[in-house]
Amino acid sequence: MPYVAIVDDEEPVRKALRRLLRASGLQAEGYAGGREFLEAAALRLPDCVLLDLHMSGMSGLQVLRKLQESAQLTPVVIITAHDEPETRAQCLAAGAAAYLRKPLDERLLLNAISAALGAAAQTRR
Amino acid sequence: MDSHPSYGRGPRPLTAGRLSLPWLGPMEPGWVAPVLLVAVGYYLAARLGFAFTLQPHPISTLWPPNALLLAALLLAPTRIWWLLLAAALPAHLLAELQSGVPTAMVLAWYASNCSEALIGAALVRSLVPGPLRLHSFRNAGIFLLCCVLAAPLLSSFLDAALVKLIGWGHGDYLELVRMRVFSNALAELTVAPLILTWAALGMTGLRKAPRLRYLEAGLLFAGLLAASLLVFDLALFDANTAPALFYAPVPFLLWAAVRLGPAGTASALALMVVATIWGAVHGLGPFTGGTPQDTARDMQLFLIAVSVPMLLLAVALEERTRSVRVAREQRLQLTHLSRVAMLGQLSGGIAHELNQPLTAILSNAQAAQRFLANRDVDLEELGEILRDIIAADQRAGEVIRRLRALFKRGETQYQPLDANELVGEVLGIVHGDLVMRGVEVVLESAAALPPVEGDRVELQQVMLNLVVNACEAMAGAAPGGRQLTIRTRADEDGVQISFADQGPGFQAEQYHEMFQPFYTTKAQGLGLGLSISRSIVLAHGGRLWGSATPGQGASFHIFLPAQRAG
Repeated sequence: MPYVAIVDDEEPVRKALRRLLRASGLQAEGYAGGREFLEAAALRLPDCVLLDLHMSGMSGLQVLRKLQESAQLTPVVIITAHDEPETRAQCLAAGAAAYLRKPLDERLLLNAISAALGAAAQTRR
Repeated sequence: MDSHPSYGRGPRPLTAGRLSLPWLGPMEPGWVAPVLLVAVGYYLAARLGFAFTLQPHPISTLWPPNALLLAALLLAPTRIWWLLLAAALPAHLLAELQSGVPTAMVLAWYASNCSEALIGAALVRSLVPGPLRLHSFRNAGIFLLCCVLAAPLLSSFLDAALVKLIGWGHGDYLELVRMRVFSNALAELTVAPLILTWAALGMTGLRKAPRLRYLEAGLLFAGLLAASLLVFDLALFDANTAPALFYAPVPFLLWAAVRLGPAGTASALALMVVATIWGAVHGLGPFTGGTPQDTARDMQLFLIAVSVPMLLLAVALEERTRSVRVAREQRLQLTHLSRVAMLGQLSGGIAHELNQPLTAILSNAQAAQRFLANRDVDLEELGEILRDIIAADQRAGEVIRRLRALFKRGETQYQPLDANELVGEVLGIVHGDLVMRGVEVVLESAAALPPVEGDRVELQQVMLNLVVNACEAMAGAAPGGRQLTIRTRADEDGVQISFADQGPGFQAEQYHEMFQPFYTTKAQGLGLGLSISRSIVLAHGGRLWGSATPGQGASFHIFLPAQRAG
């Protein structure tokens, strides 16, 4: 079962997304911040990351860049409650697999995760 | 020496005032009421004028019909003046012919009465378009010059000439003129303001007055009546009495001018004038003892000398009160405008704050749907999902409730407030913005602060402004270097709330400028934030100031006095 990490500083959002992914047949784990996630990722790399962009402490973009720097090839789906064209461009340039706006459309989210997982599998092969 | 300067014509346009007297087209039905009012009012005023004559030689002390006619013209559109003047004629004939005056004299007086009303009204209308309102010092001055001075003076030459021509009166021409001038000027000063101010006030204005104001007016008029009766209508005092007694009604008149506005003052003056003349007509009061001419002259001069300053004082105070009210209204509008502009700047953060609970609601609901579709239902989890949905919904509702309060434009409402609670509410509103800007807030709240008295929304506005300014000051700082420290502490007799940022700070020479309106260093923004914030805090009896070390950030501090016990 693919393992998806959810990084979001809002506990209710984290909890809801974890439920949704679990109900969709995915294994999901939530992290309240970038640092916490990076520490956990060093031990077990998720198959995909749902990463909130605007978080207190480390921002989603910083986490994304850290992942890229460490050459960890986990696909990252950015989720944000405030969409700005320039941040979308920045995130995609930094290597994000997808960029989605909150509230999250279920089909778009699952398609994005599925596409990201598929692409990652292709790369590994 | 004869007689009653019976002038004018015309109904009393009390309800034909500024509001109800329409600027009508020719012969419209709306003319009927003003015309009837002028006719009936003129007749009654003439009867009153006859009652106010000194015997044995009938010397008129106050001739109200002309003033009533003039007031009607001042309120009416120019195109129906002829109709109002015509309406006075039957009333004039009816009143005068009963008194045994020759018809030629009666008609001549009608002409001179109309001339007085027309001179006054035309002069005023040339300077003040539309119905005259005694609501400004300028209008009151124009009224006094045109209606109390010019109109009686100019028309009295005609009146006295007609009297001499017809041979109804005898005596010196200039003495006749003088008597007419004083009698008519006093009438203009007493009757016209009464009609003009009450027409402007109307029944709506009267109904709007609080109940206590009625009680106050009742006390005032009772006191004024008692003082006037004591001095002018009892056989206690005569011409030899110390003139200091004349001042007995003055405190009541001042009271009326300060508290009851021009309408209340005009009414109080009318009461005193009537009481004084009534006393003199009955041979009572301090003005009697000499010839009727002397009595009339002294009394008229006294009443004119008292009425003019009282009326001007009432109008000036009314104008000042209105200016204060307008300034206050404008300050509220500007405060609201600035608040709405600031909320516009925060719109991104607000969208973030609403999208978070909406995400939780949607994803929870869709998860539940999937659990149900998979027939993988854990009732306990389902219950938890519903609880989480409710909580997220309530959070979104709370964001909207706070925003509505900030968007709303209302009167300032003072209430006891907890500064820590206010800071918490402000951080709730601005949370999304802080997250998006990567600003970390360090909150150092003192426990158990004394309550402050203030307007919740206005104080939130001040704090929001300081938080937004701090965030913008730190926009150029590296991530991780954007820390906003908010401290609350009890200070002397109040509470101090400080906002310290890690931005570039400011130079000493910028300090005073930044509190000036329209000073801004931002590409967007009205430059009103700090200026309005300071005026809000000052209105709360507090202080707002800043301090900075260039390169090491700026701090802004609010001091609010503690709510007084009791």
